[in-house]
Formats: sequence, C-alpha cells, structure tokens
Amino acid sequence: MSRITLTDVSRAYGQVKVLHDINLDIQDGELIVFVGPSGCGKSTLLRLIAGLDRPTRGKIAINGQDVTRVAAADRGLAMVFQSYALYPHMSVRQNLAFGLENARMPKPEIEQRIAEAARMLEIEPYLDRRPGQLSGGQRQRVAIGRAIVRNPTAFLLDEPLSNLDAELRISTRAELAALHERLSATMIYVTHDQIEAMTLADRIVVLRAGRIEQVGTPLDLYNKPANLFVAGFIGAPRMNFLPAAVFPGSAGATIGIRPQHLRRADDGESTLKAKVMLIEQLGSETVVHGDADGHRLLAVLPGQQGLETGEEVMLAYDEENLHIFDENGLRAD
Amino acid sequence: MTVSSPRRVLSGAGAILMAPVALVARLLDPPLSALQRVGGTNGMAAFFLLPNMAVFGIFVLFPLVINIIYSMTGGTALFLTDRTFVGAAQYQRLFDCRSYVDPKSCTDDLFWTAVWNTAGFVVVQVVFMVVVALVTALVLNRDLKARSFWRAVFFFPVLLSPVVVGLVWRWILQRQGLLNFGLYELGLTPVNWLVERNWAFAAAVGVSIWAHVGFYALILLAGLQAIPKDLYEAAEMDGTRPARVFWRITLPLLAPNLLVVLVLVLIRAVQIFDEVYVLTGGGPGTATLYLTQYIYEVGFASFLRNPGLASAASILMGAVLIVLTLFQLGIARRNEMRGKR
Ligand SMILES: Nc1ncnc2c1ncn2[C@@H]1O[C@H](COP(=O)(O)OP(=O)(O)OP(=O)(O)O)[C@@H](O)[C@H]1O
Ligand SMILES: [Mg+2]
Repeated sequence: MSRITLTDVSRAYGQVKVLHDINLDIQDGELIVFVGPSGCGKSTLLRLIAGLDRPTRGKIAINGQDVTRVAAADRGLAMVFQSYALYPHMSVRQNLAFGLENARMPKPEIEQRIAEAARMLEIEPYLDRRPGQLSGGQRQRVAIGRAIVRNPTAFLLDEPLSNLDAELRISTRAELAALHERLSATMIYVTHDQIEAMTLADRIVVLRAGRIEQVGTPLDLYNKPANLFVAGFIGAPRMNFLPAAVFPGSAGATIGIRPQHLRRADDGESTLKAKVMLIEQLGSETVVHGDADGHRLLAVLPGQQGLETGEEVMLAYDEENLHIFDENGLRAD
Repeated sequence: MTVSSPRRVLSGAGAILMAPVALVARLLDPPLSALQRVGGTNGMAAFFLLPNMAVFGIFVLFPLVINIIYSMTGGTALFLTDRTFVGAAQYQRLFDCRSYVDPKSCTDDLFWTAVWNTAGFVVVQVVFMVVVALVTALVLNRDLKARSFWRAVFFFPVLLSPVVVGLVWRWILQRQGLLNFGLYELGLTPVNWLVERNWAFAAAVGVSIWAHVGFYALILLAGLQAIPKDLYEAAEMDGTRPARVFWRITLPLLAPNLLVVLVLVLIRAVQIFDEVYVLTGGGPGTATLYLTQYIYEVGFASFLRNPGLASAASILMGAVLIVLTLFQLGIARRNEMRGKR
C-alpha cells in the first residue's frame, strides 16, 4: 500500500529554481512515468521522493503520513539508479543482502528473499559473481533485484534502461511491465524517452523546466494534449504545427495535426497542398517531408507511395484529428 | 560571420606561439633526416635517449657502482686510489654481534642502534601517517566551506624544504621555544621537548608526519573522489549507518590507494633524515639517530671517518629499499590492470 502525495513541492539550488510548486497524487499500485526533456527536473523530483534530497518548500506524504523530513531509508522505498550503483567489490549475493543486513534481518530470511528474487529475475547463475563480471543487462537485473528483496512500498527508477542497447531495452521494458503486473507495487519511472513512457505508463507526468505540463494516461496525452509542448513531445514523428490561417474557416491561433493523420486526398476533401521536399521509404510506410506555403509539413503515408521530390501533393485530413491551440499555446476546446 | 569562434581564436594564438617551434623544427630536420638514413630508426631512438642515459649514468649508476667498490675498501682516505681492498671486512664488522637485538654487544654498536631506532620509527610513523592521511582525506572530501583553501593548507608543508621544516619546529619545540613560551604564559610547566627521549621521538614522528601528510592525503583524496557518489546514495537508500558505510564501502574501495600510500610511506620512513637531523641532531644521545644519519656521519662527519663502512651500510639499506620498491611496483601494476578491466 502506498499512495504518494506531493503538495507544492519546490526545489531550488541557490538562486536557481529547479522545481516549481509540484502537486501530484500517485495512486497505490500505479506505474507513473515522469517524462520531459533533459534538465527539466525529473531526477530531482525522484530524489526528493526518495529522500536523497530535501525540498526547499512543500510537503511529501506517503499514505497520508508526512515524510518530508524522514530519512531515505525509513520511507520504505527502493531505488534503481541509472548507473545501477551496484557495490563493485561485493558479489551479487552480497549486493542483494546488504540492505537487509542493515535492517538486521535474520540470515535465513535474507537467503530466502535473495533466492526468490534471483529466481524471478533469472540471475541465479550469477549470484557469486561481482558486478564487473556481468553484462549490462545482467547488472540491470541485479539492480532491480536489490530493490525487490527489500519489498518496498514503491519502486523508484531513474532511466533504468538508458545504458542498454536498443534491442535489450525493448525486451527489458516488456519484462519491467510484467514485473509491475506481478508485484502490483507502485512504481515511479523516469525517462526522457516518450515511447518508453507511452508503452509502460498507467499515467504520464510531462515535465518542462521544473513545471508539470500535463498529467494523464498515455492516450489522454496523445489524443488531447493540453498545450503545444505536450503535443510536440508525445508522439513520433512530431506533430505538425501550422498557423490557423492555413486551414480555411478554422478557429484558434495554431493548428496541430499528427503526420499519421494526413493522407493522399480524394476529390472533394478538405486538403492541404504541399510540395515534396524529401521522401523516406521505410517499406511499410513512407515519410514525406513537405512544404506547405512555407511551413514544414510531415506526413506518414501507408505503404509505398509513387511520389517524387519536387512534386505537388494534395493531403487530406479529418476535422476531428485537428488540435486547435490558442495564442497562448493552450488547447482551445 | 562577424564573431570568430573561440576555437578559431585559440588556433590563431596557437599558430603564433608555434611559429618559432616550427622554424626550429624546419632547421633541425635536414641533419636529423641524414642521421636517420645512416643510423636507422633504432639508431635515432638511441640518439635521443643518449642525453638522459648520460645524466642517469653519471649521477646514479656510476655512484652506485663506486659505492659498491668503496664498501669493499678500508681506511680513512677519500680517493679510491688511496684506499686498500678489504673484501667483505666492512660487512663483517657491521654484522659482528653477539646479539643483534642488543647494540652494545656489537662491534659497531652505533649501526645497530640506528637500525633499531629506524625500525621503531618506521612502525610508529607509518601507522600514524596512514591514519592521519586517511582522516585528513576524509575530512577534506566533505562539503566543507573553503574546501580548496583547506586542501592547500594541508599540502603547503609538502612544498617546504625539510631543513626549513626542521628549523621551524626547532624554534617551536626548543627549551625557550614558542610552545614552552605558550605553556609558561598559561601557567603550565614547560617541557624540554627535544631533550627528553620520548618527547624527542614523538617530535621526530610528529614533525615528519606534519611535513608529508598532505601529499599522502592528496593521493587518498583522489581515491575517495573516484568512488561514485551514487554508491553512497544506494547505501543511503539501503539504510546503512555511517560507520558501516565507511567499513563496507569507503575502505574496500579505497584499498588500492591505501596500499600505494602505505608502501610509499614505508619507503620514505626508512630513509628518514633531513628534518629530524635538523630538529634533534639524532639526540638526545642517540635516541633519534636513524640509519641515514648514521651513514652520513660515518661517511663524512665523524672523527672516526670510515667511508667504506658507510658505503657498506648504505648498500644494506639500499637492498631493503629495493625489496620495498619492487613490492610497490607490483602493486602499481596490479592496480593498473584492475583499472583496465
Ligand atoms: N546539485 C545541483 N546543483 C545545482 N543544480 C542542479 C543540481 N542538481 C541538478 N541541478 C539542475 O537542476 C536541473 C534539473 O536536473 P535533473 O537532474 O533533475 O534533470 P533531469 O530531468 O533528470 O535531466 P536528465 O534527463 O538529463 O537526467 C538541471 O538544470 C540541473 O542543472
Ligand atoms: Mg536525470
């Protein structure tokens, strides 16, 4: 059971404010992902929750209990570090046991917990090796194992996959999702990769420059981004932004349309005219870089299109796929 | 572009600075090329190594060989041509003892006094030096105010000449020195620091530590800073008490650096001389007479001048140092290999 509540949490380093009045309610058993560009304060926020750092203002509560001044070890949380932070001079077994020994847990119970975690993470063959003798993926499992054996009320993970190669990252991502299902523990997951966020999250928190831009389920954010920043950040390739004037009879100041929501026009449809600047053939789809009245326009078209650079192409869209933003960059509807 | 990039400015300045070098290089090139055609690549290597080899040969290798020859000669004459060959007699004299632990039973009692004094000094000084260096490094590694200032303060004595160190501390510790003046002002009884055996020993140990601890603390500090911060954060999440963090994380990860420091301190402690010689002159009596001072005095200073004996003693000491140095090189190589892995 752990519900984590942040109330007006701020953190400043000297004169520099890194987090501004963060309010957030993390539900029990939820996998929540903090996502945002580099330097936006994701790690700082996670470290505040962990207790490795203290907020300059505001309150952090776990299950309604104020833990703002409680030491990291006494919050019942476990953290998986981006660098794994395994103790290099200890065997995997000792790494897993270290925190439990600190808590003066009886030996047999320590053994049992290690055995259980090792089986779950399939690291049994490496228990007597040192971290230096493991591959990146194996180290990553050990780091997760060190968190699991402590049976924490919540897991904090700071970019746990960023040191793995692309293939391993995808398989480990799936395993993490399965692990979350199995443990049904609260997980707070930090990443700057929006695809990781979309695939893993129950809810996503989009941060920018120390402020929350939007909180919601992955599809909420995809379908109804609250502002231009979220609209541009979630979804790949990036959403197209065009002045409202380009769309006849449209309201707002800026119109956004995702590249996937554009298609070759049939007769009599509402269309945009674009000049093809560059074509990327991916086989299953074709990415067209176009120029519409001097505005960059990206379209992802299905299959293989017989298009040539320099050609003019008519692109159609459905009204309901347009995202309308006002002059402050906020969603208009 | 209106503003040239910093890199371009730098390379501009670099080009100006490099111009004379380039000129010299161009002038040197023809004769060196010619030389290489004659001597080949290996010949060139020898040519460039020659000056260094000459310096090493004249100031290190040659004296070493001469010293070995001296140790097999007798008499008080200084020039080798005036000396008589005595074989191993000097060594026999050094080892002529009824009991090695009792210097008075030895023909050359002063040598064994110096040996045992040095042994005692080494044991005490090395232990305290390593501990003090470690504590200093741990303190300097914290988030102190004016950290660089404190680091400089601890390193400063390392830059002083040993003679200056000895003189400064003699002014402080002598009968009418600064310390006794302070004690007197406070109404306490002055102590004759450099005249009482145990105090003189403590002063020798203390001053030599004061003079060099900054250097070793710096090595340990580098080791401490190489330990990743997030290990400490992981330990914090794991609820580790500070003492356990020290024993289970800091100390094991600092072990390679500690070993290096230990051996370096050991090597220097065996050779202790200048600052103690200036501070106590080996006194009171022979209480702080150490091996190097013995060698120096027998070789150059005493009435009973015996260069052969001094050479023999110095060769014995050299043998001990070679063993320690090989040990240190072994450690250094092992650390290097661990670093590569
Ligand atoms: N100890 C510190 N002192 C001063 N500024 C800091 C400190 N730690 C972090 N910052 C600043 O706070 C901001 C947020 O840092 P943080 O590490 O939380 O970013 P992040 O979102 O995790 O970025 P990344 O994706 O690169 O890891 C950055 O601008 C950083 O420079
Ligand atoms: Mg970060």
